[in-house]
Amino acid sequence: MAFRSSPSRSIFKKKSSPSLAPMTSAASYLSALSEADARARGLSKSPTSTPALSLSSSITESSEDTVLNELDDDNRDGLLFPSCAPTSEQVFTTVHTEFGHCSNEDYRYVSQHIPGATLEVVEKDPPYYILLTTYISYLILICVGHVRDFIGKRIYPGAYKHLMPHNGLAPLTSDFDSFYTRRLKQRLAECFAQPVTGVAGRTIVCLDRFSPDFGQSYILTGGRTRALNISSYNYLGFAQGRGGCADAVEESIRQYGVSTLGARMEGGSCDLHVMTEALVARFVGMEDALISSMGFATNSTFIPALVDKGCLVISDELNHASIRFGVRLSGASVRMFKHNDMKSLESLLRESISQGQPKTHRPWKKILLIVEGLYSMEGTLLNLPAILALKKKYKFYVFIDEAHSIGALGPHGRGVHDYFNVNPRDIDILMGTFTKSFGAAGGYIAGNKNLIDRLRLHGHSGPYAEAMTPPVLTQVIASMASIMGIGLPSSLSHPTRTLYSADGEAFQHPGPAAPAMLPSWINLPPALASGQEGETRLRRLAFNSRYLALGLIKLGFITYGDPSSPIVPLLLFHPGKMNLFHTLMKNRQTPIVVVVVAYPATDLVTSRVRFCVSASHTKEDIDVVLRACDEIGDVLDLKLGIRPSERWTVDEIIERAVELVKS
Amino acid sequence: MSFVGPSSSFDPLFAFLSFSLLKVEAAFYSLPGSSVIARYVKSSHQNDPGRTVLELILVVFAIRTLLQSRTRNEKQQKHFIEFDEKEIDELVAEWTPEPLTPQLTATEKSDLAAIPIISGANGAKPRVTKMAKPVLNLASYNFTGLAGNEHITSRAVETLRRYGLGSCGPSGFYGTIDVHTKFEETVASFLGTEAAILYAQSMATIESVIPAFCKRGDLIIADKHSSFAIRKGLEISRATVRWYEHNDLASLEEVLMTIEKEEKRRLRRRGCLSRLFGRSRIQVKYIVTEGIFERDGAMVDLPKLIELKQKYKYRLILDENMSFGSVGRTGRGLTELYNVPATKIDMIVGSAAIGLGAGGGFCAGTQAVIDHQRSNGMAFVFSASLPALLAVSATEAIQILSSTPSILESLHENTRAARAILDKVDGITIPSHPASPLIHIYLKGYTFNPTQIALEESILQEIVDEALSQGVLLTRAKRLRGQEVNEPKPSIKLSISGGSGGLTKKEVEKACAVIKSAVAKVLAKRR
Repeated sequence: MAFRSSPSRSIFKKKSSPSLAPMTSAASYLSALSEADARARGLSKSPTSTPALSLSSSITESSEDTVLNELDDDNRDGLLFPSCAPTSEQVFTTVHTEFGHCSNEDYRYVSQHIPGATLEVVEKDPPYYILLTTYISYLILICVGHVRDFIGKRIYPGAYKHLMPHNGLAPLTSDFDSFYTRRLKQRLAECFAQPVTGVAGRTIVCLDRFSPDFGQSYILTGGRTRALNISSYNYLGFAQGRGGCADAVEESIRQYGVSTLGARMEGGSCDLHVMTEALVARFVGMEDALISSMGFATNSTFIPALVDKGCLVISDELNHASIRFGVRLSGASVRMFKHNDMKSLESLLRESISQGQPKTHRPWKKILLIVEGLYSMEGTLLNLPAILALKKKYKFYVFIDEAHSIGALGPHGRGVHDYFNVNPRDIDILMGTFTKSFGAAGGYIAGNKNLIDRLRLHGHSGPYAEAMTPPVLTQVIASMASIMGIGLPSSLSHPTRTLYSADGEAFQHPGPAAPAMLPSWINLPPALASGQEGETRLRRLAFNSRYLALGLIKLGFITYGDPSSPIVPLLLFHPGKMNLFHTLMKNRQTPIVVVVVAYPATDLVTSRVRFCVSASHTKEDIDVVLRACDEIGDVLDLKLGIRPSERWTVDEIIERAVELVKS
Repeated sequence: MSFVGPSSSFDPLFAFLSFSLLKVEAAFYSLPGSSVIARYVKSSHQNDPGRTVLELILVVFAIRTLLQSRTRNEKQQKHFIEFDEKEIDELVAEWTPEPLTPQLTATEKSDLAAIPIISGANGAKPRVTKMAKPVLNLASYNFTGLAGNEHITSRAVETLRRYGLGSCGPSGFYGTIDVHTKFEETVASFLGTEAAILYAQSMATIESVIPAFCKRGDLIIADKHSSFAIRKGLEISRATVRWYEHNDLASLEEVLMTIEKEEKRRLRRRGCLSRLFGRSRIQVKYIVTEGIFERDGAMVDLPKLIELKQKYKYRLILDENMSFGSVGRTGRGLTELYNVPATKIDMIVGSAAIGLGAGGGFCAGTQAVIDHQRSNGMAFVFSASLPALLAVSATEAIQILSSTPSILESLHENTRAARAILDKVDGITIPSHPASPLIHIYLKGYTFNPTQIALEESILQEIVDEALSQGVLLTRAKRLRGQEVNEPKPSIKLSISGGSGGLTKKEVEKACAVIKSAVAKVLAKRR
């Protein structure tokens, strides 16, 4: 295999030896591919099997547009083409750099909760010396930072101008408030805000840069590096510049332009908005839904319309900033409970209901529990069954933010209720975003019709925020419809339940979209319209997630979260290791871009790398990541989880991947 | 034997104790500076044994305070009532919450039904569901007529093919696409500032810019009728807010003078203390206002405002949501209209959705101002970045505006034509600035009164419905009654359009004539 390097080689320099792939150049690969295509066409008599975006056209076009005219013949990093050419039966309609080719049906899994399986995640603690040295690292960083500030202000006052009062104006930012940014985050500047270009799919093209002043500013060198992208929120791989969804979006731009010119309530509503809202409601199994042009704003502008003074919001301590923003604007009281801890939640509920409002002891008007389906920094899953059991007893309302779980969890991709096979109508409000699984932008809120209508009228976005734009709406419609399938019931045998839409129409949930729900001009290729490809994506994502999470555990790393979660955090602890890990991953022969997160997004000591697995990754891609982690983990002393005797070698993990995932 | 026995059996213990005591003593004295402490304790004990006891108590107290949790939980508060488990169960069973949302009222239902839905592309003459013919659009923001612009559309399609649609991540984590940087550079050079930052939604921009710079204890002076988004930004920042009368710079100066006096008084009172501790901290002070007010279309006198801000040492956040892309020779906004360099304003906030017909919002200012937002602007840090094709559309729109001054010329001509007709219509007043393409219409004879809001709104809605039936799309300015502070007076909000994709002068005049007749018809019925 092109990218399988022996683990004994040094990881500090890029490997320069050209590895021998079965296909040595793009030209030979393409010719093999077109041959395979011709054979496949010869076999299938049906004229519909070759839609506008046929195999050969997609690949040749892609080499002009999406490869960005570089590295055309160079597949040394193994990112441009699959390691082996497709056979006659395999017809791939995606560009390998955007959505990887994987035809092995073994590398599939179904994301669902197995009744009786425990949800309690035991978080492994690192050895004490790690904790101690981590604290010492921060102590040193803080001391050095203060010393630099003290000396710098006296020697280079010019560089501290924005921190000093001048001209009778107070400093722009107080040096105390910005200390963390200046003295700690700046050292990690290399890991953040990497400029990129092209599609954020399976691979991403980074614009090379260097810093002449230790991270203060960056200069682009003009070079580009294609890297394996295990960082973008592209769970189902719908970030594509080619394919049925992109074709539909192109058509929508031609028909609708790029904007609907205004707010939803003031002349910015169009028929696409209405259709998307109906489809979203059908997708999540609620009566009605509304959409908003920005995910952050969905929480920050609609939560204030749900609760006000005299109401209590109970919020998980790790809830997203947008939820806190919205709750703060609402004027409601807030109490927090320990992350995902049902005991802490219950005792808080008992206390708040029995005590009532502070001082007056009047009963709360209502209690709204706000939780996330899948936590973006931890990868932990919401314990939905336990929450619904508590809801029966304590009569609070449940708001679930499914920003990360929608599309990514459940056998049908309907989010956390689908994963646990729970009736969505038992939940009061479902919120989610289109940025992640659907490759679009914006967010939605779904609930009963009365609730949604009220939010439409009283949410801040209605009259004051721009409406979602037609290309984004179309991407949502096309990707969502291809997960649901149009018209035909899904082939997955799974229990469905009959639900009713706002106008009293009965439908099966989780079920397909009715053809009438889509604009007539959207013509999805058969693989997407039948829901077959959507299903494959869901199953590939489930496989990849479990494979990476369990593989890392078996290698000896400490990871957080549920193995089903496509977010896999790997614990680094030391702040100094973040930069190193990031650089070592990026400088490999197959460059890998990763996200490192630290305080204040996490606890001070639990700095981590966060992998976001996608359906667009192939099993080989995950192998590459595992191999990289294995080597770097040894160098950086990161294997602090299980004892060496219980560990598997990386080759063993790659060999026994299917067994590992099904365990 | 029996007498000696116990003592001899304790001997090793005593030996061990004295040995370890010696060891501890030696270790203590080996620490640097320990002899000073020992001497201090000894001498103080000699002088006053009671003091030793007191100091011991102090040490114990200090340790206790340190170990205590920082945040007091509810249980330690004096209002906490102890219940036993059974009582709590009863209270839980008794408690009945209000329904999550009350049922919609009839007015709310009709409001919802009255929202116009456009079928197909929106622009100067869109089709509205329920209407057979295309209508003249005075409701949607299409000042520069860039809706459906072919050049922008084709660039958007190109971008789609190269970049896909969504950015799939926040700017910090591989969501900074080169087209975002390109837009930021373009808008900065268009306005003439050092740098700019692109947010994913225009409403969220100002809501994040204000709290990024203003915290609790800081001071903000704001216009009484600032837009809803500004108000929410002020609320989130938790800064102290002082208000001045709407668009009245004399009132602003009064407020500034009062604050200056208060400060001097405070300084005098604290005179001796501040002399002791060096210079006292200068308060962070901002003025926040809008270029063209969303609430009524009035325009701020920018040169005067800048003079005041410089005189009284304030920073200025200018919200140009409505004025960017709508006034000035090429649509640069108020700075171009008044010929003021943009560098004199600390933060200019504008919209790429309203002025440029794409999506997103931006803030322009010095490099330090922008860099600070990249790690402190909430909606920037915690949200996925704008889809690439919208950023490219916005960049193209700026390029079209700067190379085609005729667009803004036609917009201003259309605005003048509209005002020439509307100013003479009986029964209405127009609070908007004559140059503003955003025109609000108030009903004459209704002094603002909270109890009459519903009545006024229903009359205005009748006018809107009447105009629609005559082929002109209007909209009432929709408000969140009950959530606004200083309720705005009900109005109809017109957005004049110009340029090649906007309405022609004739069409604007025709639409205004329709408004005139609709107003006359509805008001005649009422009398």
